[in-house]
Amino acid sequence: MSSRSSSAAFLWKVRYITLCMNAPAPQPALRGALDALPLFIPALPFAFVFGVVVAEAGIPELLGWSSSPIIFGGAIQVTLLTLIGEGASVAAAVSAALIVGARHMLYSVTLAPKFQNQPGWFRWIGSYVLIDQVFVLSQIKPIDEPIAFRRYFLSAGFTFWTLWMTCTALGVVLGPAIPPEWGVEFAAPVLFVSLMMAASDRRDKLAAAGLAMTITFLSAGLPNRVGILVAVISTVTAMMLLRKQNS
Amino acid sequence: MIALAIILTGIGSYTMRAFFIFALSRYAFPPQFLRALEYVAPAVMAALVISMLTTPEGALAAGAPEAVGLISAALVARITGNHILSLTAGMASFWLLGWLL
Repeated sequence: MSSRSSSAAFLWKVRYITLCMNAPAPQPALRGALDALPLFIPALPFAFVFGVVVAEAGIPELLGWSSSPIIFGGAIQVTLLTLIGEGASVAAAVSAALIVGARHMLYSVTLAPKFQNQPGWFRWIGSYVLIDQVFVLSQIKPIDEPIAFRRYFLSAGFTFWTLWMTCTALGVVLGPAIPPEWGVEFAAPVLFVSLMMAASDRRDKLAAAGLAMTITFLSAGLPNRVGILVAVISTVTAMMLLRKQNS
Repeated sequence: MIALAIILTGIGSYTMRAFFIFALSRYAFPPQFLRALEYVAPAVMAALVISMLTTPEGALAAGAPEAVGLISAALVARITGNHILSLTAGMASFWLLGWLL
């Protein structure tokens, strides 16, 4: 009797597991928004840093905030407004800010295959929300089905967008609301380490991450954070050369 | 002048993001190239971590609490695959060690 009931329980378990495996995955749009939320946590202290930068540069609040919808990129905005606050010329400040953001070109190349079988409007709008976190989400949660990919991408992107618009507005109005001695800014590298581990699902990718860390550290003194670009391009090249040699 | 700088940077950063998405919209990617792109995500994330922990002059701006925080976050991420848990572990160990030292 007991063996019979336990085997029945086992059968139910098997049935339950197969049911779960066949259950439709949550809607891509919902999943994109939910996946975006934890990734926004480190951007929150950064929004307040942005507020302090605008105040210290003596830029009118609304004008400073307008860089959020117009540029939509934290590091680019902070670089631009800091340099303008220090009295740099428009040409110098703009080019420095664009060099800081140059890694977005790598995201553009990497995602180009995914954008091939997509409608034109999605290329226009999707490019606007192509930020670090949206890029890495598209890489660690690869979706092959074009409609699902599009919904996931847009939903994650505009979740970030809405939060960034709101929080930078709060940052500009409230200023330094988080005491610097708490060290909440450290949340950003912590999150990116976590994302790096998620993106390194193979040993060779983990090796690439290690190599990129080393090269970034060695080239950290280069102006305008060009080291990031140098590290990524040389790491990808080195990995391909190694791969060619081993095959 | 500030408005001009913001608008120019906005146009520039949009163009950088859109450029290859449009330029390569009909390009037949060689398999070798697609394989190379697999390394972009781990490499960029790694580079961003280090660049956040170094000063613009290239000096390391991290001590033992940061190192322990990052290592525990990496371990928790590897074991659980959960970013909230990883973030919690990293920040908790960073704050704990900073408070102890």
